[in-house]
Amino acid sequence: MRMRAVFGLGWLCVAPLLAAAAAPDAWVPARWPWSDPQSLELLDSSPVNCLLLQSWTPELLASAQKRGVIALALIAPGGDPVAAARQALRSSVGGLVLEGDFPEAATTAIRQAAGAVPIIQLTARSHMALGSSAPILGTYQGLWPGISDEHADSHSAGPSGSTWIDTNTGFLRAVRAWGASTIWIASQPPPNTVITTARYLQAVADAAMSGARWVLALDRDFASRLARRDADAVASWGRISALLRYFESHPEWRAMREFGKLAVIQDPAKGGLVSGGILDMIAVKHTPVIPVPRQRLAPGALEGASMAVNVDPDSLTPEQKEILRSFTRSGGALLTGPPGWKDSSPPGERITLDKAELDRLNDIWRDVNSMIGRRNLGVRLFNVSSMLSNVLASADGKTEVVQLVNYSDYPVEDVTVHFLGSYKRATLLTPEGLEKNLDIYSTEEGSGVDIAKVGVCATIKLEP
Amino acid sequence: MTRREWIALLSAAPFAKLVRAVPSGLPPAAPVAIAKCASYDEDLNARLASMFDQLGGLEKLVRNKTVTVKINMTGSPGVRFQGRAPAMTHYVHPKLMGSAAYLMSRAGAKRIRFVESSWATGGPLEDVMLDSGWNVRQLQSAAPGVEFENTNALGKGKRYARFTVPGSAYMYPAYDLNHAYQETDVFVSFAKLKNHATCGVTLSLKNCFGILPASIYGDSAGVDEPNESPTDGRLHVGHEGKRQPSKSAPQELHFGANHDPGYRVPHIVADLSAARPIDLAIIDGVETVAGGEGPWIRGIRMVQPGVLIAGLNPVCTDAVAAAVMGYNPRATRGTAPFQTCDNTLLLAEGHGVGTTDLSRIDVRGVSIEKALYRFDAHA
Repeated sequence: MRMRAVFGLGWLCVAPLLAAAAAPDAWVPARWPWSDPQSLELLDSSPVNCLLLQSWTPELLASAQKRGVIALALIAPGGDPVAAARQALRSSVGGLVLEGDFPEAATTAIRQAAGAVPIIQLTARSHMALGSSAPILGTYQGLWPGISDEHADSHSAGPSGSTWIDTNTGFLRAVRAWGASTIWIASQPPPNTVITTARYLQAVADAAMSGARWVLALDRDFASRLARRDADAVASWGRISALLRYFESHPEWRAMREFGKLAVIQDPAKGGLVSGGILDMIAVKHTPVIPVPRQRLAPGALEGASMAVNVDPDSLTPEQKEILRSFTRSGGALLTGPPGWKDSSPPGERITLDKAELDRLNDIWRDVNSMIGRRNLGVRLFNVSSMLSNVLASADGKTEVVQLVNYSDYPVEDVTVHFLGSYKRATLLTPEGLEKNLDIYSTEEGSGVDIAKVGVCATIKLEP
Repeated sequence: MTRREWIALLSAAPFAKLVRAVPSGLPPAAPVAIAKCASYDEDLNARLASMFDQLGGLEKLVRNKTVTVKINMTGSPGVRFQGRAPAMTHYVHPKLMGSAAYLMSRAGAKRIRFVESSWATGGPLEDVMLDSGWNVRQLQSAAPGVEFENTNALGKGKRYARFTVPGSAYMYPAYDLNHAYQETDVFVSFAKLKNHATCGVTLSLKNCFGILPASIYGDSAGVDEPNESPTDGRLHVGHEGKRQPSKSAPQELHFGANHDPGYRVPHIVADLSAARPIDLAIIDGVETVAGGEGPWIRGIRMVQPGVLIAGLNPVCTDAVAAAVMGYNPRATRGTAPFQTCDNTLLLAEGHGVGTTDLSRIDVRGVSIEKALYRFDAHA
């Protein structure tokens, strides 16, 4: 795993040139399929302020700069990427995005050519520079979030099963456990697929609820309709922009960290960065979870947790094993993988598990499922089968937010949320502009609130 | 004098006496009430109260009694038809349950316990209700003494209760059930008016297939002893006869003789109706589904029959309900809606539980003709 900063001190030197532009951690990115300056009119109503460009014109770059919008040139690994980067730099783009996995020599040469110009790398998940000081960590590998069609047939077989949701949240939380970098997930729209507005909204919210940013990427049909200002497409663009604005207007949520009583110790070099693995399986059960990278299992890493899952016990050092012994001695419940069970990542650059790998994962999942049951490990949610959630806490531990994202195409009604502990104030916030105090009632475990309806997403803010 | 008082006067006879005296050998008949109810936003208290009055009043049945109400919450609350709330499709509606609880309490019931063997879990029933979008606190406050119990395992009890099938059992000589089915004075089956892929219709009788605990009769049941953390349905034991229930419970009489769910499930249901008699049947046909019992059945569709049906005998009540659905309640295998199964109602009649003969059943309130909603015609 490479752990290298892509932003050097030189970035500070170029800052005056981009005085009008936002800092990288405030960049709201979109793959921009147009090169005409008129296209930037769409940004009038959007918080998007960072464009990823495959092609551009001087007029577009000038217009972007005038608007304080950062224009980044996309460089692909094929052909001569160094020459392509130099050409982009000559046209005064605001930075480079290296999308794909480049030979080390090419990356070095591009970095040298770029000097102080910022470079963002969108790599395979397994090549992300985890733990680096880069303000932005990105990957081109993401699932297009939504309710999975793969299991649709099983719904006709019997009164069983709950909905499986394709999500990047487990992966995003695993990466966030490494540090404060802003994470970009830059999937391309799936080919030959009609993508509804709801799916775009779900993709944005899926990333944002874990403090990451979905790099907006419009499918060809939507982009062409939007280019000719088709009314439906403009309305959809407005809804997407409103949702982006909702999350961007709360930067404090991005700074908050995952909260819960369950910790999962997993190595990102093994199964820690896959989608559909242990972390996502726990998420589908609506159990808050704190990923602890195996490499970062140090004294204090399990503070606040009452349960821990050690996915691959053989990979721990003696010191780390002692930390877990200490955890159990102090009353924590620890589940370890079955004897001989080893965590592993899928071969190649695959980010999801195939059936055989899932069957293998079941060896440990059955025990995890049994251990966590339906216990309240931070929050319990009811009537949320088409939703996922994330619980975040502020650094001082005083404020918590529960992010709710609905992956179905219809609103979810009558959601119940039970919290651990007592709170004096619970506020419901939605992208539609609602900000409402919720009635808090006592439950066996602490307190609870009821929410009448959730569209694409909602946030519950809890204060003592 | 109000209409309700007038009806109550006419129906002053105790519930038990309302079961018509019949010549020896004939299964008993009891009155069935039908009411029109277009939506769950109507005055459900008034609708149900009127029906209970037509049946002779609740008071004689429930005063100072513990009432156990088996509701229909089939399948996982996460599996939904077109994303709709389960109570609008295949679950009974909590508003109706709240009204029934209120009326029972007003009639003097000291404890009202809602029970269901929740899909694939032994956890609290309240959790499943919350997962269904129900307001449990509201339901609990409908009346004093409202309780909930998931009967899919031992639950709050210390041991299972054994219910012996009187006479000649079809499938099992006796069934081991959650204590709630024994520790009660009155047993109510609160069902949904629906088709059923395996049994043709699911009404108050078939609703009680769900009293079997998956801890003993489930796919994940223990071989020797119950598994108190069931994780599956009852396919292997109940539907298919691929395995016996836990050895702690009475075993199947002719194990291996028949693996046809269309034979097995109706016979088990009929056994249960004799072993654990139903004192009151209530059927929610306000909004429901046709073509199957839940969203996992291909081709189901939303329907709004707009009816409520209640009766003191489950076979009579189901016979009237089947007629309201446009079916002959005495139809035999091969005829709609029993194309691929035996008729549960006739099997229960064979156990002497009640009659399916509509000519012997006193239908009160709205007539069958006026309530008729042909389920097969609304395809």
